[in-house]
Amino acid sequence: MPPLIRNRLFLLLLAFLFLGRLELLPDENLHRLWAIKEARIVTLAGPPVEKGILVIRDGLIEAVGAGIPVPKDAEVIDGTNLTVYPGLMDALGQSLLKLPEEKIDMTRITAGDFTDKDRGITPGLAAFDHINLGKAVFEKHHRLGFVTAHVMPERGVLTGRSAVFCLSDPEKNKAVLLKDLCLGIGYSPASFLVYPNSLMGVHAYLKQALADARHFDIVRSRWLKELKGLTRPEYSPTLDILTDYAAARKPVIFLCRNQHDIRRSLGLAAEFKLDYFIADLGGEAFEVIPELKNARARVLCTVAFKAPGSSLYAQRGKIERERAEKEVYPKNPARLAEAGIPFAFSSLGTDDPKAFAEGIQKAIEAGLHIDKALEALTRSPAVFFGLDRAIGTIEPGQIANLVLSEGDLLAKDAKVRYVFVDGKKFELKEAKPGEGEKPAVNITGKWEMALEGQMAMNLTIEFMQEEAALSGKLITPFGAFDFTEGTVSGNNVSFEISISVAGQDLDLFFSATVEGERMRGSVVQGGAGSAEFTAKRIPG
Amino acid sequence: MKPRSFVKAICAVAFFMGLFNLPLSAENSILLKNGRIITVSGGTISGGDILIQGTKIAKVGKDLSGPAGTQVIDLNGRWVMPGIIDSHSHIALEGDVNEMGDLITAEVDCRDVINPNDINIFYALTGGVTSIHTMHGSANPIGGKGIVLKLRWGKSARELIFEGAPLTSKWALGENPKQSNASGMGRARYPKTRMGVEMAIRDQFEKAKDYQKQWAEYERKARAARDSKGKIAPPLPPKKDFRLETIADILSGKLWVRCHAYQSEEMLSIMRLCREYGVKLVCFEHGLEGYRITNELVEYGVAVSTFADSWAYKWEAYNTMPHAAALCAKRGVLVALNSDDAERMRHLFNEAAKTVRFGGVSEDEAIRMLTINPAKILGIDQWVGTIEPGKDADLTVFSQHPLDSFTVCEMTLVDGTIYFDRARYLEERKKAEDEEKKKQKEPEKKKGGEV
Repeated sequence: MPPLIRNRLFLLLLAFLFLGRLELLPDENLHRLWAIKEARIVTLAGPPVEKGILVIRDGLIEAVGAGIPVPKDAEVIDGTNLTVYPGLMDALGQSLLKLPEEKIDMTRITAGDFTDKDRGITPGLAAFDHINLGKAVFEKHHRLGFVTAHVMPERGVLTGRSAVFCLSDPEKNKAVLLKDLCLGIGYSPASFLVYPNSLMGVHAYLKQALADARHFDIVRSRWLKELKGLTRPEYSPTLDILTDYAAARKPVIFLCRNQHDIRRSLGLAAEFKLDYFIADLGGEAFEVIPELKNARARVLCTVAFKAPGSSLYAQRGKIERERAEKEVYPKNPARLAEAGIPFAFSSLGTDDPKAFAEGIQKAIEAGLHIDKALEALTRSPAVFFGLDRAIGTIEPGQIANLVLSEGDLLAKDAKVRYVFVDGKKFELKEAKPGEGEKPAVNITGKWEMALEGQMAMNLTIEFMQEEAALSGKLITPFGAFDFTEGTVSGNNVSFEISISVAGQDLDLFFSATVEGERMRGSVVQGGAGSAEFTAKRIPG
Repeated sequence: MKPRSFVKAICAVAFFMGLFNLPLSAENSILLKNGRIITVSGGTISGGDILIQGTKIAKVGKDLSGPAGTQVIDLNGRWVMPGIIDSHSHIALEGDVNEMGDLITAEVDCRDVINPNDINIFYALTGGVTSIHTMHGSANPIGGKGIVLKLRWGKSARELIFEGAPLTSKWALGENPKQSNASGMGRARYPKTRMGVEMAIRDQFEKAKDYQKQWAEYERKARAARDSKGKIAPPLPPKKDFRLETIADILSGKLWVRCHAYQSEEMLSIMRLCREYGVKLVCFEHGLEGYRITNELVEYGVAVSTFADSWAYKWEAYNTMPHAAALCAKRGVLVALNSDDAERMRHLFNEAAKTVRFGGVSEDEAIRMLTINPAKILGIDQWVGTIEPGKDADLTVFSQHPLDSFTVCEMTLVDGTIYFDRARYLEERKKAEDEEKKKQKEPEKKKGGEV
């Protein structure tokens, strides 16, 4: 892109940014005091309160109960027909991460010049550093009641460290609850000829690394204590991080692809006396119930319900596999609940919050009691990560993370009306008007977009349309920005793209009318500014 | 659905459903009556009976009877032999069997990656195999640790492990360790010659000795510190190194070495090295040129685990013939016939027959190569490998003599439990096929109705 055009685009974005500042601040920042009245309140700390009152002040729950006074200056929400729940938590996910794109330098690889990253050893990779928060992702989560997320990179052997966020503020320093909490341990061998590149190698590596970390811990603390008379140990960034986990001062999360990984993990955890969680990516914890019970393991339960390739079902062919994925695997959470194994729900393996919620529905249909499901989305994860005094139930003093829904939150037709996150109100509006009309066009493909007026320039945009659902990617000099949840209705297209430039997040609303291979419309940033655009399909 | 793909689909489903053939319950007492029993240790008994009690063989002989409630199986003159033992296999392992990331990977362990759900376990049972030695591949001079399994299909990984079987370490000489990692992705690694392969092993022995010295020194200092009652500060422990600890276990003879080798020269030279360090070298894997050095093999007590007639698939495997196993056996070398392959594993009895056909060994000798010989190589001959009272009831029943070209394995027992019964399997498969046919027909009917 020529510099002139790049400058122009930057100016446009700056203009949006500047004008955006003049806009009224979102209402959640103006009101620090809220009262919800006449609502059914499922506190999970005691029996539900019918026609209760809930007072929120400065981000915390101030009071909850029936017949308690409503502060005079509180903004009141009429909770008639609404049920208030503690906000839901994703106990382990990675969809909120935007990890740097990996570029494999083949000259380096062919020269055998491997890095720890090639080996899958990336304990320094912190979820906190790569979190992608913003209005669009918040809305996707809020709509389904998710207000807290535990996020961790999942690739490799020592995959990286997790963090817990309230989905309240695009500024991660404000949103973060806990940073560098868990370390991920995965069983993915290196893709190159570098140790460990087999599963048995990974297991051996883990044993050695944990033993090394303990040794490093002992030798270093002894040296720091005495400072003389001892040779100081060589520093290792990997061991430096690993020591806390090897000494069970912090928990690790074993990312288990199948029941065998779970058994391996229980073995390693027992051998090294680790504080740990089992992330049941393969959904086969039900095959290991006696062992899990015996070890008092805590499980992060996924809901993708795909039979792992190592399973007998998968080895017995497509029909058996599909049968098992319909009849056997969805029962996994119910069976854990039945066996009294503590578990929380993890979104790993599902693409987005919607698929995650659908998976939870499947688990409920397969026999998981709705109360257990709710617990696995609220109190259990809070307890797991030592946050139960802050979140997970509705009690005075806790963070005001709440969901207000019409009907039971985990019922199939539940509708989330509001969420509060860190005491900020987010209202979830009904689907946009016009939605529901069948799409009359299919715009899947690459389009060249021309912005008009003073800021004239060309951009490329890729659409993926599935019936009325629209997703895609806008390619700019600042990077490519994905979007989902756009809609196509009749000839009308609308979508929202969140982009970040120079550390600032911008939400751009696009709407256009399609005519054949062309579209015409406008792009708006809040009430701040707008531009017209036309686009034409790039053939091929 | 097209008729052909329909048939294919039902065959596939039925076939695989049939495989879920769970073992029949292990009754305390089973009497196999009227069979031709190849005992291996005491000749063949015609019209013989075997009484199984619990997991063991209680009695072998004629006209036996069991306690009340004994399950009686009439063999009707069929042949029974000890369960086949495959001393060189790579099945039932999850992930790659080679850790290619390093030259020496003694610390990696098959025990950690046993996959009890590998369908090949069931296939092996259909060919009369009851125990296997499954191990690391041959990419590295010193590869990982191997494990002996009993094929208790349906049991967990831990329950498959053959209790009491010595642990093994897989080594490899020749082209494989020379060429692994030599080209393509990643640097060409040391060693590039046969000399280098041997030196890589010797080098580890020296490192392991140093490692042991370090720990001995530490123990000595720690003791001194304890005795000084606080006057001397306790020493810092050396770093634990699982790789060198494994090598130390090799040096102490705790691990039995199974060495992949083809050529007689390198076998001779590695025997010299093992003699120098006192390593328990148990067996050459493949050992295709072993027939050239039978005196040396017998003298050092090294066995050969080999193929019946697989050779010339690479240059170091040229100089042999289908008579090799027989030649070794005749000169007193302990010989086992192995599969090294999930498919070959199902008809090892055919392989043994080839040594009779080509090498002219006796039928009994050929059967020994599948049973007591591999049992001895694996150090499990006190439990399995023959049909005698007191041994594990690991048995396999054949329609004809096991070396007959038309023989079919009909039943396989491990620890007195029937894990494979062909008649029952076929019956269940038929049932599954019929059910599937019914299922497939229903939607077709509906479709017809709509039209």
